[in-house]
Amino acid sequence: MRRTSVLLALAIFGGGIGTAAAQTMSYAEAISQVSTVCRNDIARFCRGVPLGPRLRACFDANEARMSPQCRQTAQTVYASITRRAAAQRDIGEVCSADIMRLCGTSFADANLVECMAGLAPQAMSPRCYQTFMDTGWATERTRR
Amino acid sequence: MKFSHILAAALVASAAATAALAQQGINSSQMATSLAGVSRSGKLSLTGAQMRQAVLDNIRNYPGALPSHPLSFPELEGLTQIVVEVDFDFNSDVIKLSSYRTVGAIADALHHPLLLGYGFLVIGHTDSVGGRAYNVGLSQRRAEAIRTALIDPFGVNPAVLEAVGMGEEQLRDPAHPTSGVNRRVQLVNVGKKFCFGRSGEQFVCP
Repeated sequence: MRRTSVLLALAIFGGGIGTAAAQTMSYAEAISQVSTVCRNDIARFCRGVPLGPRLRACFDANEARMSPQCRQTAQTVYASITRRAAAQRDIGEVCSADIMRLCGTSFADANLVECMAGLAPQAMSPRCYQTFMDTGWATERTRR
Repeated sequence: MKFSHILAAALVASAAATAALAQQGINSSQMATSLAGVSRSGKLSLTGAQMRQAVLDNIRNYPGALPSHPLSFPELEGLTQIVVEVDFDFNSDVIKLSSYRTVGAIADALHHPLLLGYGFLVIGHTDSVGGRAYNVGLSQRRAEAIRTALIDPFGVNPAVLEAVGMGEEQLRDPAHPTSGVNRRVQLVNVGKKFCFGRSGEQFVCP
């Protein structure tokens, strides 16, 4: 299952560089989908509502009235954003054992992403691997 | 200035470095790299509250339609920073849909592994249209609007973001005070605030 979704993500995002593919969208890509697909719905139902928690609340409150395309996009986008943010917040804890064992470094070291991206997926615990994929860091490698 | 391009990000280590990268696809990775390259060591002694006070003092000490005395913060000059264009509705703190992508890209950059645990000032600047004191308030609300969006939905830690409104006290192009190049958001890396332990736990750096 995981492998197919990785392949799917590769197909969708085209040219996932390196070993891993993103399973969540970048925040820029995610929110720009809302701004384009939901342009008319925002003008109708959420005019003047600021980007942030109030816009999300407005989407929730008007879900039934919104166009199917916007509704679908907003659901996908907010799910992706939430998942990526949770992964970026939690990866230090989720992966601490794997990081110490496989990379010999502590969290938030600039070399950490390089190390993790170079590991075989099965080397990490499934939850750590999934979380790492969800952060999006594997495809936005540290360049120096 | 046209609102055509979503983002103009430039290193502003020197004010002359105006070679803005205007592009459709924003490279948040590049943004992160520009914001990393660490700043002077040591903690910034200047607080957001002190900056806000300095802005008000500047208006009181040098009254007039335009700021005759450009406000400067030497403490910020050695710090790594970028300038970003975020468009707002006229006279409003509501971010335009056309700038959603830019705000998302800032969030991507701030979540980049290179920048984990670092603190940032989000400094809003206006052009000279409108009163100076009014513009301080407007730019403060705009900077806060960006901060709010970065926190929710994009999950940036509120403790690493401080919003400051500079009004028109630091015009980028004083010869053309109403020019759009003056309207901008400055992101300043103020140094590492949070460190991470071996188990990934976060704590205030000693």
